[in-house]
Amino acid sequence: MKRILAIAGPVLGLVLGLAACGNPATPASPEAPAVQAGEAPAETGAAGSVNIYSARHYDSDKAMYATFEAETGIRVNVRESGAPELLETMRAEGSRSPADIIIASDAGALYRFQEAGFTQAITSEKLTAAIPAQLREKDGHWFGLTKRYRIIVYDPQVVSANEVTTYADLADPRLKGEVCVRSSTNIYNLSLMGEIIGHVGAEAAEEWARGVVANLARKPQGGDTAQIEAVAAGECAVALVNHYYWVRLANGSPEERLKTTKTLLSFPDQNGNGTHVNVVAAGVAANSPSRENAIRFLEFLATPQGQELLTAETKDIPVVAGSALPAGLEQVTGFKESDFPLSELGVHQAEAQAIFDRAGWN
Amino acid sequence: MPALIAGIIIAVPVVMVVFAGLFDGAGAAWTHIRETLLLRYLGGTLSVLALTGTLCLLFAVPAAWLVTMFRFPGRAVFEWLLILPLAAPGYVLAYAWADLAGVGGPVQSALRDATGWSARDYWFPDINSLPGLSFVLACTLYPYVYLTARSAFVSQSVCALEAARSLGAGPGRSFWSVALPAARPAIAAGLALALMEAAADYGAAEFLGVPTLTYGIVRAWKSFGEPAAAARLAFVLIGLIAVLILTERWGRGRAGSQQSSIRWRHVSRTQLTGVSAIGASVSCFVLFLAAFGLPVGRLVWRSIETGAAAAPIWDALVNSIILAGSGAIFAFILALMIVLAARAKGPAAFFARASAVSGYSIPGAVLALGALAIIALFPVTLSGGVALFALAWVYASRFTAAGTEPMAAALARAPASLSNAARSLGASPSRQAFEVDLPIALSGAAVAALILFVEALKELPATLMLRPFNWDTLSVRAYAYASDERLAAAALPALLITVAGLVPVILLSWQLSRSRPGETQ
Repeated sequence: MKRILAIAGPVLGLVLGLAACGNPATPASPEAPAVQAGEAPAETGAAGSVNIYSARHYDSDKAMYATFEAETGIRVNVRESGAPELLETMRAEGSRSPADIIIASDAGALYRFQEAGFTQAITSEKLTAAIPAQLREKDGHWFGLTKRYRIIVYDPQVVSANEVTTYADLADPRLKGEVCVRSSTNIYNLSLMGEIIGHVGAEAAEEWARGVVANLARKPQGGDTAQIEAVAAGECAVALVNHYYWVRLANGSPEERLKTTKTLLSFPDQNGNGTHVNVVAAGVAANSPSRENAIRFLEFLATPQGQELLTAETKDIPVVAGSALPAGLEQVTGFKESDFPLSELGVHQAEAQAIFDRAGWN
Repeated sequence: MPALIAGIIIAVPVVMVVFAGLFDGAGAAWTHIRETLLLRYLGGTLSVLALTGTLCLLFAVPAAWLVTMFRFPGRAVFEWLLILPLAAPGYVLAYAWADLAGVGGPVQSALRDATGWSARDYWFPDINSLPGLSFVLACTLYPYVYLTARSAFVSQSVCALEAARSLGAGPGRSFWSVALPAARPAIAAGLALALMEAAADYGAAEFLGVPTLTYGIVRAWKSFGEPAAAARLAFVLIGLIAVLILTERWGRGRAGSQQSSIRWRHVSRTQLTGVSAIGASVSCFVLFLAAFGLPVGRLVWRSIETGAAAAPIWDALVNSIILAGSGAIFAFILALMIVLAARAKGPAAFFARASAVSGYSIPGAVLALGALAIIALFPVTLSGGVALFALAWVYASRFTAAGTEPMAAALARAPASLSNAARSLGASPSRQAFEVDLPIALSGAAVAALILFVEALKELPATLMLRPFNWDTLSVRAYAYASDERLAAAALPALLITVAGLVPVILLSWQLSRSRPGETQ
């Protein structure tokens, strides 16, 4: 009760009445990190704290934070929200921002934080040794922690493997009425388009988008899982998805597994640039009050243990050598990945959206 | 004066957004949006509003009339069952309906299994479409119209209806010629609420992939990283809502009838028999199934199927109730100030209502941007009490209009002779406000408070942006899971939002069913 009252003070007593009449003491969540909701996260134990602004929403992240707390004694405070929301929050907070770490599920998102001046360059031998160079920002503003591939899922009864070997195939008139995609607003599509623009230029990229739109079996809709379901149901024969959505279904309920048995995976551009790679990435905030703890946290994520905590539930691919591959990912390894510099994905983001809009890819 | 203060409090986040739109130079994104997308968004929103409004009226008005005026099997149950969809947020219904009716969902899978067809061999209504979105929104928003229409029918002068009957009008004619015109202001008020809510919807439109203005506003900011372009689109939306409000005003206008008689007597409900009785029961049941039974049943099924762990959810439930409660109290006080001042008329009252209405029509994400702009002016960070205060403020700014409408409707239904009498007896405006208008307005207060609480509980984008560290709510959990495409995991928090919203909805139903003087049942 005391805690609730303490929170309520600034709310002009509005909460007071409610807390007094309605609420028994709020039970602390057993899984919540140590600092209680609403308290200013400034207070620290001997080892201090680290404040994380995260655009991820996985339950397994809670276990990850708890493990870090247990190993280091550093308290973890988390604000989960969308990446654009976190960006605006940091803008409002300015140099007072309590953020130490920014985590987002896309290199393009980290690029925006960097552009806005909300990240800082750090040097850590552990990080540069553990994480391949093309997966991190060159000055150390952010580091790719896990990988995901944007791949093609297809129905082998309708198209053959050699019809879907490249992203360009999706725009081939041969696949007219066979393609399912999700909305272009989705960051995965924007980042893929960013890479295509980087390879072939804006004009050819727009032509590609128009070709895909002409091949659509239905207007862009749903998430990646919905695309797989549509292929399994026969509504379309080809779809563009991130690998882990397929892997999660393949390891899901019997009903879900059935959907993946009807589909096959193609890793595009094996004879060209390689399959599009994106990352979950994190960086140290520009005005991080606990810079040392922030670096320690990143270094923890770049250990095999941290990698396992990051990927076990999400089915991302670890980037650190010697990390265990999460169960169910056997089919998703051993092919050529694109080495397109991830920091360039963000550069093309607004242009990518405009191209999609003009092409009628909603 | 109180109206002016209330208006300013509500308007500040809106004004901050507008300022951003005017003075931050919009860049290339705005040009692109204007040239490529603006018409698409505008057409989308107008179509959604037209279709949602039509569906709301079709769902709500006949149902309200049936349960008020007739006896048929299950009537007493349907009377309150039909309010329940109010508890389910639009985005939750969208998740559930998309799961049910999607190509990979149980209905279509069963159809394919039974027939051996592929998905391309048959036609099936597409939930990921503009009509699909309108249907989902109408399912969750029709109770606004149902509530206002029913309370208008219930409180109608029995004498007028009996006069109509004694003059030989059948049930149909007394509905079209007497009851409906008299209830029109109330129905218009409910519909206006529903449409403003539909215009501000982001979660369902985004999930079902329908380009509307609100979707465009959030997208301008998220995809193009240009809050200024988002603010300019918000201008267009505010303009649209202003037209909507003026239309409602005009519709209410002089057509509203003054009730001359306030004598209450038990109205004898006409007993329906045979086909018409079955028809009435079945149509009420189908409406309930579509708007609540099926989608919520699906969520229950998925929660059980996954055996989702409830532990982290309880904390979120308590957080949700604290936040929604403080937001609702804040908004309720503001709404009361505005409603009482509106009786006195004048520019301050008009300004207050206008700002409440524009707040209501603006997506929560945009208001949250306004709140962040305010925070940037002060040496504080978005944590602890500051975050909670900002959030309660945004709730108030966003939802106060939802509280003013039911109370204003209660006042509008009161005979003008009451205030005339007060004035002729020499009561000062403030005395009239406190001793005559306040008690009348409070008869709508239960509805107002309920709506405010449920609205705040369901709110997603602003809560997501402004809540303090480590502070999750049910809507945030549901969104987090759904955005990771784990609908099964999203089912439990979505269900709990609905359940938490149900408690006040049922209280309200109970209160309403007793509210008819002379009712003996």
